[in-house]
Amino acid sequence: MMGRMYRFALSVLIAGILSVALPASATAETRILACEPEWAAIAREIGGSDVVVHSATHARQDAHYIRARPGLIAQIRRADILFCSGADLEAGWLPVLLKRGARLVVQHGQPGNIMASDYVRMLEVPDNLDRSHGHVHPAGNPHVHLDPENIGILARILTERLVLIDPDNADGYHSRHADFTARWDKARATWRSRAEKLQGMKVIVHHTSWPYLLQWIGLDRVIALEVLPGVSPTASHLAQVLDRVSSSDADAILLTPFDPRDAAEWVSARSGVPVVELPFTVGGREGVDDLFSLFDVTLELLEGARG
Amino acid sequence: MFGAARLTVCMVFGMLIVLSAPDTHAQSGTTVEAIRAELETLKRQYEDRISTLESQLEALKHESHEDEHEDEPHARDHSDPPHQDNAFNPSISLVLDGRVANHSADESELAGYPAGHESGRTPSGLSLGHSELVMNGSIDDKFMGNLTLGLGVHPGEPVELELEEAYVRTLPGIGIMDGFQLTAGRALWTFGYLNEFHAHADDFADRPLPYRAYLDGAFNDDGVEMSLVLPTDMFAEFGGGVFRGDDMPFGGSDSGVEAWSAYGRIGGDAGRDGAWRVGASILNGRAHDRMGGVHVHDDVHDDHGDPGHDDDPGHDDDHDDDHDHDHDDDHLGLHDDDDDDHEEEEHEHLADFFTGGAFTGNTRLVALDVRYTWAPTGNPRESELILQGEYFWRVESGLYTLHEEHETCEDPDDPHTCHVETEDVVLDLDGGSSGWYVQGVYKFSPQWRAGARYARLEMPKDAEAEEDHSAFSAMVDWSSSEFGRVRLQYNRENLYEQEDDNQVMLQYIMSLGAHGAHSF
Repeated sequence: MMGRMYRFALSVLIAGILSVALPASATAETRILACEPEWAAIAREIGGSDVVVHSATHARQDAHYIRARPGLIAQIRRADILFCSGADLEAGWLPVLLKRGARLVVQHGQPGNIMASDYVRMLEVPDNLDRSHGHVHPAGNPHVHLDPENIGILARILTERLVLIDPDNADGYHSRHADFTARWDKARATWRSRAEKLQGMKVIVHHTSWPYLLQWIGLDRVIALEVLPGVSPTASHLAQVLDRVSSSDADAILLTPFDPRDAAEWVSARSGVPVVELPFTVGGREGVDDLFSLFDVTLELLEGARG
Repeated sequence: MFGAARLTVCMVFGMLIVLSAPDTHAQSGTTVEAIRAELETLKRQYEDRISTLESQLEALKHESHEDEHEDEPHARDHSDPPHQDNAFNPSISLVLDGRVANHSADESELAGYPAGHESGRTPSGLSLGHSELVMNGSIDDKFMGNLTLGLGVHPGEPVELELEEAYVRTLPGIGIMDGFQLTAGRALWTFGYLNEFHAHADDFADRPLPYRAYLDGAFNDDGVEMSLVLPTDMFAEFGGGVFRGDDMPFGGSDSGVEAWSAYGRIGGDAGRDGAWRVGASILNGRAHDRMGGVHVHDDVHDDHGDPGHDDDPGHDDDHDDDHDHDHDDDHLGLHDDDDDDHEEEEHEHLADFFTGGAFTGNTRLVALDVRYTWAPTGNPRESELILQGEYFWRVESGLYTLHEEHETCEDPDDPHTCHVETEDVVLDLDGGSSGWYVQGVYKFSPQWRAGARYARLEMPKDAEAEEDHSAFSAMVDWSSSEFGRVRLQYNRENLYEQEDDNQVMLQYIMSLGAHGAHSF
């Protein structure tokens, strides 16, 4: 009787696996797995209808800390291009996906592997490494997408890889890239003049998520609410933050949609410095549904904070 | 470019045919068919070489393509930290685990199951748990290797060095097939949910009852395992392995290949912030004199005092094997001393065969596991709910040999006339049973988690026990960072024929050095 039950259980299992396995076989599109929404947005601009884009994280998720979910292993198993920030931002989960999914074309050094931080000038590269310095990234700060120039570079890299992997649709990729670049360069010129007016604005950040934005606009970072990168704010550190704020007249406390708000609101209530939640990435705020609105809205919010 | 490569290879191929032909002729009596067959083989080999060359060309093409970018103005800023001599050393991590525990019951025995190193409760008072040294790294682009040394410390015994894992595993670069992975050596094999994880990654200080009873903590035999992730929308993976058959639930491997496993898993996302996985596994094999132990009447059966345990493949070689397989047909028929057996004594007696006897026979373990995680904010670092459960079903039958000692005295008043007689009693018993646990852990702030677990375990069928073992656990833990954790746990264990045991444990688990990514 027990033997019969096994056989039953086993056949249910096999039937289950087959039923999910079979419908998936024939899809010809190039599949792109982006680690963060900003790279998924570039992929949609360049790939258009020739690609299927999936983002491993959404805008309210901190890409440092998500789980290597079974659904993501399934995604990477079928991906033709993996498009991520790199510089260890995804170190907590991407290595598991790469190993378990065991998809050759997206492994490091293969044409389907794009790590944005390999192609841009990195900021905050640490001189020495020690865990007591908090969650440090040996290759530099990985949040490279908040400089419009970096977006332009990565759009070009992605186009080249798409052409290499899916030469049949090369014309489409080239023409969408040309179109995107024209629109992007035009927008960048407008943003440049708006950014100049924001130069010298003083900001407090929660986590060091913003160095590329700060450098691009020319903002001054007063202090971070986190004691060390990745180490949550403590009461004594927040007291220190308050001291610094009163002596330096900060204009805003910058938060991403996924930063906890309590520390920022505590400092804001005592210092009168407004909390400004920027979208940080595509989808991070109502109406921010592509890369253009990401920068538009970010500048708008900063302009609002400066008053 | 490829055409040229193909031409070159064909020329080499042709030359080799010419060169190899006289050799073939030199062997007298070789038929034309044999030459043809050899040519076929050569042709196949060279076709393989061509495809290898093609893929190398592809890689080269890609490399040169990357070089182009590096010459451009916006290319990578070469500010990499300076290379050091130890850049290629394996990554090393160290796990430190220490505990303090208090138990309300003086002793604890998991009746019906052999006592192994990991099957008992945490020792009373201050003690060390498992300290682990893990070394791993890539061997080349095709393989990685891992070595895990466990330093087992059991109060009153010398420190024991245990080789927990020593394996090599294919990397995706081997290019056999996407989604494929092969592991060879000794590893924490895929079975159920918990088995493949190191105990320090668990959500509770101790493993649930079924793991302690059926697997002595975990199955890490010597063997080979393959797995394949299918190219499907939903996560689907299956695999299996063959093993030596020395580790619990097996033991005393004869041929060196005595056990096999198979498993399948499916999983996926549940909404924006949830994920799930369901799996089924089977582990099947043969045990020879597994965990034989000297049975001494009224012995205080302490956690680690049993002379036989699964990590010692050479155990009880000196143990007289007085049964042979002709006895297989006898059921409960081998009592030599059955004249004065009372009902109650017999029940106790049968349980003893499972607890302290050496088992020879077939054993099969089936596990169903399910896990669900949900991060209410989308960020598991801030808060997360994890629900997990596993059901185990063991089919085990064969011969249980109990080595009994009797003291007989010719003159009951004179100890000098006494002598100890030993005798092996062999019974053919059904050791079938089932066990399960369910647990929930909730992270309510980035550093704090609380959890509860309930586990239940049946006594083996022929032990004819009226009750099951059961245990309830509750825990709270605090994490200083990803690398440090302190945990307070309360257990209430209601083990069969044991006093109810209230246990309180405080544990630290800290890891230093390289820290790999976590699986789901």
